[in-house]
Amino acid sequence: MATATTAAYSPADAKSRASHRPWFFTRPVAKTGLVSWLTTVDHKKIGLLYGITALFFFLVGGIEALLIRVQLAVPNNTFISHQFYNELFTMHATTMIFLAVMPLSAAFFNYMMPLQIGARDVAFPRLNGFAFWVFIAGAIVLNVGWFTAAGAPDVGWFGYAPLTSNAYSQQFAGDVSTDLWIMGLQILGVSSVIGSLNFIVTIINMRAPGLTMMRLPVFTWMTLFTAFLIILSFPAITIALVELMMDRSFGTGFFEVAKGGMPILWQHLFWIFGHPEVYILILPAMGIVSEILPTFSRKPLFGYPIVVFSGAVIGFLGFGVWSHHMFTTGMGTMATAAFSLATMAIAVPTGVKIFNWVGTLWGGHIMTRTPMMFALGFIWMFMMGGFSGVMHSAAPADAQQQDSYFVVAHFHYVLIGGSIFALLAGIHFWFPLIFGRIVSEFWGKLSFWVIFVGFNVTFFPMHFLGLNGMPRRTAVYDGNMGWNSANLVATIGAFILAIGIGIYFAVMIYTYFKGKKAAGDVWDARTLEWSVPTTPPPEHNFHVTPTVHARDAFWYEKTHAKEIAAEKAKTAAETESHGGIHMPSQSWFPLVTAVGMLIGGLFFAHHYFPGAIAGGVILLIGVLGWAFEGPGGYHLHIHKDGSVTGGEGQDESAH
Amino acid sequence: MRFSLVPTLRRATTLLAVALIPLFTAGWLSGPQSTFDVKGPVAKSQLDVFYVTVWVTMAIFVVVAAVLAYATIKFKARKTDDEHAPVPPQGHGNPLVELGLIAASIAALVIIAVPTLKAIWYTYDVPEEQRANAYEVTARGLQWWFQFEYPSEQIDGSGQLITGNELVIPAGRPVRINLRTSDVIHSFWVPKLGGKVDMIPNRGNHMWLQADEPGYFWGQCAEYCGESHAVMRFRVIALAEDDFAAWVENQKKSARTVQPSASPKAEFASYDMTRKPRNAPGYTADFDADPMAAWVNFQFPDKDENADLVAKGRALFKEKNCITCHSVRGHEGVGVNAPDLTHFGSRTTVAAGLLENSKENLHRWLMYPNDVKPGNKMWVGVNGMAGYIDIDPATKRPTGTRHIELNDTESRALVEYLHSLK
Repeated sequence: MATATTAAYSPADAKSRASHRPWFFTRPVAKTGLVSWLTTVDHKKIGLLYGITALFFFLVGGIEALLIRVQLAVPNNTFISHQFYNELFTMHATTMIFLAVMPLSAAFFNYMMPLQIGARDVAFPRLNGFAFWVFIAGAIVLNVGWFTAAGAPDVGWFGYAPLTSNAYSQQFAGDVSTDLWIMGLQILGVSSVIGSLNFIVTIINMRAPGLTMMRLPVFTWMTLFTAFLIILSFPAITIALVELMMDRSFGTGFFEVAKGGMPILWQHLFWIFGHPEVYILILPAMGIVSEILPTFSRKPLFGYPIVVFSGAVIGFLGFGVWSHHMFTTGMGTMATAAFSLATMAIAVPTGVKIFNWVGTLWGGHIMTRTPMMFALGFIWMFMMGGFSGVMHSAAPADAQQQDSYFVVAHFHYVLIGGSIFALLAGIHFWFPLIFGRIVSEFWGKLSFWVIFVGFNVTFFPMHFLGLNGMPRRTAVYDGNMGWNSANLVATIGAFILAIGIGIYFAVMIYTYFKGKKAAGDVWDARTLEWSVPTTPPPEHNFHVTPTVHARDAFWYEKTHAKEIAAEKAKTAAETESHGGIHMPSQSWFPLVTAVGMLIGGLFFAHHYFPGAIAGGVILLIGVLGWAFEGPGGYHLHIHKDGSVTGGEGQDESAH
Repeated sequence: MRFSLVPTLRRATTLLAVALIPLFTAGWLSGPQSTFDVKGPVAKSQLDVFYVTVWVTMAIFVVVAAVLAYATIKFKARKTDDEHAPVPPQGHGNPLVELGLIAASIAALVIIAVPTLKAIWYTYDVPEEQRANAYEVTARGLQWWFQFEYPSEQIDGSGQLITGNELVIPAGRPVRINLRTSDVIHSFWVPKLGGKVDMIPNRGNHMWLQADEPGYFWGQCAEYCGESHAVMRFRVIALAEDDFAAWVENQKKSARTVQPSASPKAEFASYDMTRKPRNAPGYTADFDADPMAAWVNFQFPDKDENADLVAKGRALFKEKNCITCHSVRGHEGVGVNAPDLTHFGSRTTVAAGLLENSKENLHRWLMYPNDVKPGNKMWVGVNGMAGYIDIDPATKRPTGTRHIELNDTESRALVEYLHSLK
């Protein structure tokens, strides 16, 4: 932690205070086992929790997608009912966006960003744990519908009013699924906003000495932009969801047609969140790719300032294009034209990124390792998704494409070919750092090629389905529409893709247990996360807080080994003279507070208000405990031989 | 630089050609809802804009992809030795290249923007000079069917002409369509005539389109609108001016009444009445071969019409409470919650453009509506009117009991009656 706090905080003090504390304010000390995970405040452990949960939901969303593709393999299929199909496409989208891609990005933010800026942890470690447990609460609330009579939410991930009103959502069954959807998204929003505020404060305040903003790794930049997008866009959907909740629970009329409500208002509120959300999904991916391409080309990112700036421009313009999701709502000529042009404008900074990635490859020594294969695949697929995006920006053409399979093809190219490819690249790239083992090149490349082929076989034909008039979100289609063969091909592709994903994860699991051990900087990488003393990194990340002298700080360290060694020795001595490395204490209260939110959310969705209040009370207890358990913290001491002493509850006078 | 353009281009062209083969062989772009097979000026204008976007993005793609592929191949470290070779120059970029590429991107987007803007204004409403000539209709979306209203065709004593699920329009003339909805959001889409525009509650949208020639067009709801969204379809039939006038004249008439004969004919089942699996298709190749001819046939009474069965069906239509939701002008039906059936027999489809209006399909729809269109209002009721089944008002769940019972014999009579309504 920051050295500033150590002055006002003497170890002896902490010890005497700790001994007078009631049991519920005693900080947990377990470093392994279940308790250590439930109470962790370590950004790396939280990152892993995010990652594992996200991958679990990625598989759930994938299974939902496969069921959809089986139903559409042949015309007039009876594999699943219309109702179940509607639940599947609603939950497939909601799961993939909120429970797979966003948390997987959050996993990398958590794990890598503090390492990339040379920090010990994030700015608010307990808040970081809280964000994760709230995320889990939201995920449970969203998915619990599968196990109720009402079924899972079936209003589409966009939940257009008035289909979500009491009158129309699941008109013929006791409806709790839409309330669960509202509450689940609301809770996930809390998690995202909390996490993002934490990342912003961390990046602004906790950079290592010398790490100026224009020396930040691009992934950290994209983390910052994404976090800002989240805190600026989520309020819109929060408001929309509160209004919808009021309509459903207390009879207000924001979107109720009979009460003079405006269904179109929902669309504006939803998409002013929903479009930045698209960039929330893709900017982290761009950041990962911007780390991998230079590493495996062995040269710096081409046009670093322009890549960073274009990320900012994308984020900024991303707030001014929401109505391109509404070209068919009859906005009028002027609004349509304005949003059409704004959408075209956003293609410029996006194109700039692609040019710079190509520029990075140019003149490099390209090592086609698996992460690089995924990163190159990303550029190709993202380019295609980008071009179909430009086609949508022309509003008159979009009038035919909107809500057709052409759109489905477009955003899967961006979200799978873009986001998922980059995230898979990232997992591969950082696997040796996180687990100290390296994934087999043969199996890695095999999984890449199977995924690449499967993905294109699935989604390329969908362009033609859309242009041939097939609308989205339809459980059945007739066999005389010219859609049969393309749909069958897409379904076959989906299974090839599934096999590829299966190989990918099988290899990852195998490598985790049995893979070749890899110590340290296996890729000859460029950024600080690879300068950790051991792989996996110790809890305190760095024995010595690095001092940054250039962009690609670790590359600089490697090329200036002598000076850096001397500097590190000096910094180490200084840290020790200030009392050692200050570490945050673990806590139960993030979990308790999140459990209160889960219980309250579930009861509220069920319109059982005493239960909701009980949940609120638990939440309040959690918050109070959190506030009064004290700041905690302990010190670690690094010795000349590399050994570490000190820790929570240990005798601080030992050194 | 050892990069040579010609072989790369040749390779790219071959690759493109190979990629396009299935599109033509398997007809991936030529279905009844193809946005390429345009039949009117609105769809044409939208397709033209689409082509501009395709050519511009294709051109950029070819260039960028070529450079990307070239860079990947050229600078790839082939041997382990290469990887341990001295690091390449650590260049950080070139601002002039960047600015040049940004300028080029903007120029490319301007090429797209100009026709886009033109088409936004053109497709939004009937062009000024044709406005006097435009024909006006109102399309209303409901879960899960379409109602079409003709404000310029007033019928004495019963207001404007109303039909359901098949929109008949004059060809060669702009048609301005008011878009309304009575429940949730729907979207009106006839791909060959024009892109979609949504029907949104508390919002009076409109669109225009024109069929250059008489023809028969497929359309469907393009905004997710609940359980049976997938089977909310419709058709548009464009007729030459005088055919259209004749059609309007007939539609304005009250329902056709068939007098029972003095000597009843023998009754026999002329079609298969067995229950088909849900989602079973309702189209035939014969119909698709010439849908316009099929439509014309539907305008005339069936040759084997059984007048006694028609009379029986008419009685049943009242007895089974169909009349509380369906209107049959001049007969007993007076309801307004469901499609107007005054000239139902002249429509080519049943269940909102889903099944061809054969006796077999109509029988299936009447007997097992929930197999055809799950959650449909004839089955579950609408606006306080009970449907085929009873719903518990407290839990909103089916009670398991039937409000309307129907057997094969009764259904056959209803089919005969409904088909007589030409």
